[in-house]
Amino acid sequence: MSDLARQQSDFQRGILSGDDSILAEIPDSPKEKRETLFGVYRNAYTSRLVEAMGNDHKLLHIYLGDEMFDAMGHAYVAANPSQNPNLRWFSSSLPDFLKSTEPYSKYPVLSDLAELEKALNDAFDAKDAPSIEVADMAGFAPEAWVDLTFRAHPSAIRLDLTTNASAVWLALKADEEPPDAVQLEQPSRLLVWRQDVTPVFRELAAEEAMMWDEAANGIPFGVLCSMLATYDDPDSAAARGAGYLHGWVTAGLLTGVSGGD
Amino acid sequence: MNVARQLPISPAATRAGTPVPSAKPPFLGFGLGLRAQHYDEILSSNPPIDWFEVISENYMLPGGQPLRILDQIRARYPVVMHGVSLSIASTAPPNFEYLSGLRDLARRVEPQWISDHLCWTGVHGKNLHDLLPFPYTREALDHVVNRVQLVQEYLGRAIVLENVSTYVQFNNSEMTEWEFLAELSRRSGCWLLFDVNNVYVSAFNHGYDPRTFLEGVPADRVVQFHMAGHSHMGTHIIDTHDHPVCEDVWELYAAALKRFGRVSTIIERDDHIPPLDEILVEVERTREIANSILPPLAAHA
Repeated sequence: MSDLARQQSDFQRGILSGDDSILAEIPDSPKEKRETLFGVYRNAYTSRLVEAMGNDHKLLHIYLGDEMFDAMGHAYVAANPSQNPNLRWFSSSLPDFLKSTEPYSKYPVLSDLAELEKALNDAFDAKDAPSIEVADMAGFAPEAWVDLTFRAHPSAIRLDLTTNASAVWLALKADEEPPDAVQLEQPSRLLVWRQDVTPVFRELAAEEAMMWDEAANGIPFGVLCSMLATYDDPDSAAARGAGYLHGWVTAGLLTGVSGGD
Repeated sequence: MNVARQLPISPAATRAGTPVPSAKPPFLGFGLGLRAQHYDEILSSNPPIDWFEVISENYMLPGGQPLRILDQIRARYPVVMHGVSLSIASTAPPNFEYLSGLRDLARRVEPQWISDHLCWTGVHGKNLHDLLPFPYTREALDHVVNRVQLVQEYLGRAIVLENVSTYVQFNNSEMTEWEFLAELSRRSGCWLLFDVNNVYVSAFNHGYDPRTFLEGVPADRVVQFHMAGHSHMGTHIIDTHDHPVCEDVWELYAAALKRFGRVSTIIERDDHIPPLDEILVEVERTREIANSILPPLAAHA
């Protein structure tokens, strides 16, 4: 290993794990001890990353308060050294961290809230794609509809949350007192996407969530309607399916529709 | 006011061993580091700013509003891409995924030039998201020259490198920072971004005269100035970019103008970002001081 490579290893270890061996290679300055000067790098490392987490998770920060968010942030930074040159992706593993790390794992609303904020962040700068419009659907003959398949907009993300984190999110966003965290009997099925430039989400009924998930997997409309028929009144399944579809199109949630081959 | 010409990206220059375009980047005037807090006002009022410097990583994204706004601003103003993660001095293997993203963004933005910092940001697959110092040795110089050449060949253009604020030095340094910069620029063909505040900060922290640094940098290689504020801790200064430019740095800027002539300049602010009006006062001051020291542009040209 070259001297430069060894010095960079030692310097990095000094920042990440508090190892002082690099100090032997650093002089005091005319006015300050080397420990203090090297400490500028040590302090900046964690505080910069925790600040980035706070920017990505503003409502989780409010929910936890400064002190708890800071402690959580320090634990996350210690467990997840950044591996991407772009700070944008540093917080990506936070929902998993909160789900799997005590004491945070005892409060599932935390990982759910982080998951929702992450999805909104991801929708915000997801890939651009044109959205289809109602007129695009009108071009298909009625008999062709059973074979239609759909492509979800790249910003669309489906979440199943186990808590009322979406209600907590809405309250915090409105600067109101959040409700008590509740573990739900049925998951809260959310669809997150970007409308124009703004990330948004809404809750889906079980039936619509099923249809979205299957449509996003490329299942044709006719099969989707057959599946809807097992959820509720079979006679109105096609109408319900068309209704959901209309809602997705007008919300800009679909970027492609194809007829059968 | 678009006073600049494009520096073309030459596909032929991406072939290994082919010299990269080395035309000196043009004088762009007096600009500002673009920050999201000012997007709306810039787009609604077209402020009298000559050009913008954007943080490359903020737009190395799949899509969405940031890129859309950057396109709009680019349509109205010259733009320079300024990165923070090139890690040019790192001994880790080059990160071609990062370079590919940088090149894709450059193809979209067509910036006047691409800059980053003379520093490293991590090794062993980790990124510390800081501009870290290294010893100014002949070994480091050889290493960085090679890396700059590799990056320039990949991007198909000469890059611009900035001196960073440093808080420590190394016992094994064999030359000064300005000697290192001069030699790096001469050997690799990269241009230099002279951060006036960083020179002031490093000079204070290490106990030398900032004018010695100023005199040691080759005048014909400097194509950009940065002006920013810092936090004075008494025994050392931290480069926080969260204050207005201090009077000592304005004085050093005047000295830099006398040595380097008319150089594209921006005000950088990264924290406690004030309203656009307030920061425009500083941009105007960079222009007024330059105009008071240097001959008018027409006579200069």
